[in-house]
Amino acid sequence: MTEAPPQPPRTRRKRRPRAGRRTAWLLTAPAVVVMLAVGAYPVGYAIWLSLQRYDLRFPSQRGFVGLGNYAAVLGARVFWTDLGATAVITAIAVTAELVLGFAIALTLRRGLAGRRAVHAALLLPYGIITVVAAFAWQYAATPDLSFLSGRAWLGERWSSFAVVIATEVWKTTPLAALLLLAGLAAVPEELMDTAKMDGATAWQRFRRVMLPGIRPVLLVVLLYRTLDSVRVFDTVFIQTNGANGTETVSLLAYDQLAGRLNLGLGSAVSVLLFLLSAAIALGFVWVFRADLRELYRPRPVEPDEPDPEDVW
Amino acid sequence: MRRLGWYAGSAVILLVAAVPVLWILSLSLKSPATVTDKRLWPSDPTLANYRSIAGSALFTHALLNSVGIGLITTVLAVVLATPAAYALTRLQFRGKALVLPLTLAIAVFPPVAIVGPLFDLWRALRLYDTWPGLVIPYLSFSVPLAMWTLAAAFRGVPWEMAEAAQADGATPWQSFRRVVLPLARPGMITAAILVFFFAWNDFVFAISLTSSDRSRTVPAALAFFPGDAQFAQPVGSIAAAAVVVTVPVLVAALVFQRRLVAGLTAGVVTR
Amino acid sequence: MPRFAAALLTALLAAPLLVACGGDRDGGVTLHWYVKVEASGSYRQAAQRCSDASAGRYRIELEPLPQTSDDQREQLIRRLAARDRTVDIMGMDVIWTAEFAGAGWLRPWTGARAEQVSAGVLAGPLATARYQGRLWAAPLNSNTQLLWYWKSRTPDPPATWDQVISAAEALPRGRNQVAVQGGRYEGYTVWVNSLLASAGTQLVTDADRPARARAALADAPARRALAVIRRLATSPVADPGLSADTEVDTRQAMLSGAAAFSLNYPEVYAAVRDEAPALLPDLGWTRYPQVVPGQPSRPPLGGINLGISAYSPHPEQAFAAAACLRSAENQQVGAVRGGLPPTIAAGYDDPAVVRAFPFGDLLRASIAAAAPRPATPAYSDVSLAVQQVLHPPASVNPDKDVPELRRTIDDALASKALL
Repeated sequence: MTEAPPQPPRTRRKRRPRAGRRTAWLLTAPAVVVMLAVGAYPVGYAIWLSLQRYDLRFPSQRGFVGLGNYAAVLGARVFWTDLGATAVITAIAVTAELVLGFAIALTLRRGLAGRRAVHAALLLPYGIITVVAAFAWQYAATPDLSFLSGRAWLGERWSSFAVVIATEVWKTTPLAALLLLAGLAAVPEELMDTAKMDGATAWQRFRRVMLPGIRPVLLVVLLYRTLDSVRVFDTVFIQTNGANGTETVSLLAYDQLAGRLNLGLGSAVSVLLFLLSAAIALGFVWVFRADLRELYRPRPVEPDEPDPEDVW
Repeated sequence: MRRLGWYAGSAVILLVAAVPVLWILSLSLKSPATVTDKRLWPSDPTLANYRSIAGSALFTHALLNSVGIGLITTVLAVVLATPAAYALTRLQFRGKALVLPLTLAIAVFPPVAIVGPLFDLWRALRLYDTWPGLVIPYLSFSVPLAMWTLAAAFRGVPWEMAEAAQADGATPWQSFRRVVLPLARPGMITAAILVFFFAWNDFVFAISLTSSDRSRTVPAALAFFPGDAQFAQPVGSIAAAAVVVTVPVLVAALVFQRRLVAGLTAGVVTR
Repeated sequence: MPRFAAALLTALLAAPLLVACGGDRDGGVTLHWYVKVEASGSYRQAAQRCSDASAGRYRIELEPLPQTSDDQREQLIRRLAARDRTVDIMGMDVIWTAEFAGAGWLRPWTGARAEQVSAGVLAGPLATARYQGRLWAAPLNSNTQLLWYWKSRTPDPPATWDQVISAAEALPRGRNQVAVQGGRYEGYTVWVNSLLASAGTQLVTDADRPARARAALADAPARRALAVIRRLATSPVADPGLSADTEVDTRQAMLSGAAAFSLNYPEVYAAVRDEAPALLPDLGWTRYPQVVPGQPSRPPLGGINLGISAYSPHPEQAFAAAACLRSAENQQVGAVRGGLPPTIAAGYDDPAVVRAFPFGDLLRASIAAAAPRPATPAYSDVSLAVQQVLHPPASVNPDKDVPELRRTIDDALASKALL
């Protein structure tokens, strides 16, 4: 997504010369300055901290250690275990969200009556605070409280994963469904009808017509949800606090920072998590660059539509 | 027959989306004696949990903090993002191609990555456990979010009117205030709701950068609810508090349903 | 619209300032006492009594901390690291003394003040308030665990862990659990520490000399201690949810009858008395079980010490207030109303306390024999190391885990390890 769309030659009309570059910059600058100050600066500071031994409980021992913290992190088994747990949650949750989201989108597209109600119901999980959702599912998985089952779901590893993942899927599938539904709107109904008349089975129509049509949207949802899931924190913190091998990398970083006040080690974990996110995003954009370009290719310009360049 | 299938599908979606919410509602209506009765419906509903949290400074302060911090973040983010989004959709300038990647890069990074440095800075600047101490990090995520939503909304606005006003001799600022802002209002409302949801939902910053009634928001207060006994899980109180903070969001979500869906899907629909 | 927004913004920014302007009403200072929530209200009563007795010098305001020791500590250390001036008195878990003192977050108790709050105090609790030869806090409450059981199911209380487990295994299913704190939190380290000490070893040697502190864990006793965890966790008498169990769950397991035995604090007695009075005559208690038959057990040592923050703007008043809060009268109220074991030895002879604690003598003897957790500034890291290597309980492998635990603890003591 960081790839700019191909720039068409600048032959279009010049509009509003008075409202020139300066105005544009004046309008944009405050937002950009704020984003750099409150986003980019702390990231830079995190990198600086990650190169130091800096534990607020032992202030006298502060000092520059180069990549020492990274060596400690990468050499610790717990980092790899937590990375594994993060990968498990991400892989299962994102797959489930895409499949279920797609199913819901198809249902909504066909939805005859009660479409509004379903739409509203979808906004329910989306609007609820993640922490609240985590408590609801935790209580449903607690034997003394639950109406569902008498099993201690949070007592061992894989059932704990199941609860965490179920919560994540419940909370975020609606958004995936809404995005995919929006994407489905771009698949022309006539195309499907033509395919049907040509004798294509439902599966063939799905594979040959629908899937290619929404592939770019599907990829955006996949990327967005993957990045979101890699940093999963709230649900795990509430439900298991990392017990039974469910600790994620975000939680590991938090524990070093907040529980131990070890800003050096904690920042090293944070920076690694940040690099992981960046690598996923860049790798994704690189692999699927053709699809994403398709998504961001301007439609044929109508007479009074703005410059294609305006469209970002 | 096939029709029936779609109906059944819709019913399942409704059920699965609603049951966890009803479950929390049900827990909030149970008394300490019935909270372990393992039933979906409370046999003897009581409002005791609601009375207890309404009388708890811990919760009422957290609610005030959540609303206050959420509103300030929303106002600032929309005020900062509106002109920028306008410039990005309507004006040509050098460096424009860099602004979008910047907003995206910020929007995808893990919040926990800046918790450590912010804590260290805040303790030096005395912003730890204050409202600005949360508003500032929220801006780093909400400004990109608002810009994205607003820019998508602006592309659907009939700008001819603005251009006509300018042709009549209005300055850019006049045309922005008189014409652009009113036209942009629906988009601004959508962006405002999404930003507010974001701030309302945040947990990582809320537990890392606050420690007391002064600035702790509802999600953080829920996680550290002391309860009335050292070793007792205050399930009923947590459930009641959860319901209280869920209701306004659900009302907003239902009232602004269509606009919200449009805003959420802005990135892919308007293409 | 913009004007409205500006007005709203101003109002919202001003709101917290207005809220913060309370306090200091009647000339005296307001002291903020951060302490865990105490259900019976005995802390509140003590704060009120001391405020009244100060004749306007100070007013103590209670600031509730979260439920678990881990969360309480996390809240406090962040405030201390931020040099928060609104923390005056802290209700500190006995395991925090070395860490807080080492970081320079506490003012030491010296001279007459130190003597006042150490006179007549039980040796164990007093030792938890000391670090490197100085007194850093005033012991307020002590605590320890007893073995709770049902007399109808187990007429003769067992003395060792093996006997406890075997006795439970002989009972019918569903009523035979041995409830212990197996969750991944400080409560689990409490269990591990007592098992190790009962077996004759400890987690750390030279804990209070950071440069020399090392993992101890003598091989044979450590293996013997871990074998208890392994046997219980893999036995049918373990709660299926053992690896998530806290004090709440182990108490609940007693109340519901699912547990035949529970290792827990005296609050079990209060819970049965208040919530299931019919069962009270059947409730039995005995000393914490032995690991090695014949070798006296070393029960856990808990409790709360009162520390004065180095950043408090009112240290004089804070010291005076803390000394008042831990007075014999207030400890008596805490014991009678809240079931909090006193730190002052004579407190156990008070007739009202004797009535509140029918097991008072056992309690005092258990506290006297209790094994403290290591008093190192890196204690919380050591505890995390224990949880990292030995959790979940069912995964414990005595032969393999001892060397790994030793290695991890050594790393944790250097506070360089990722935990």
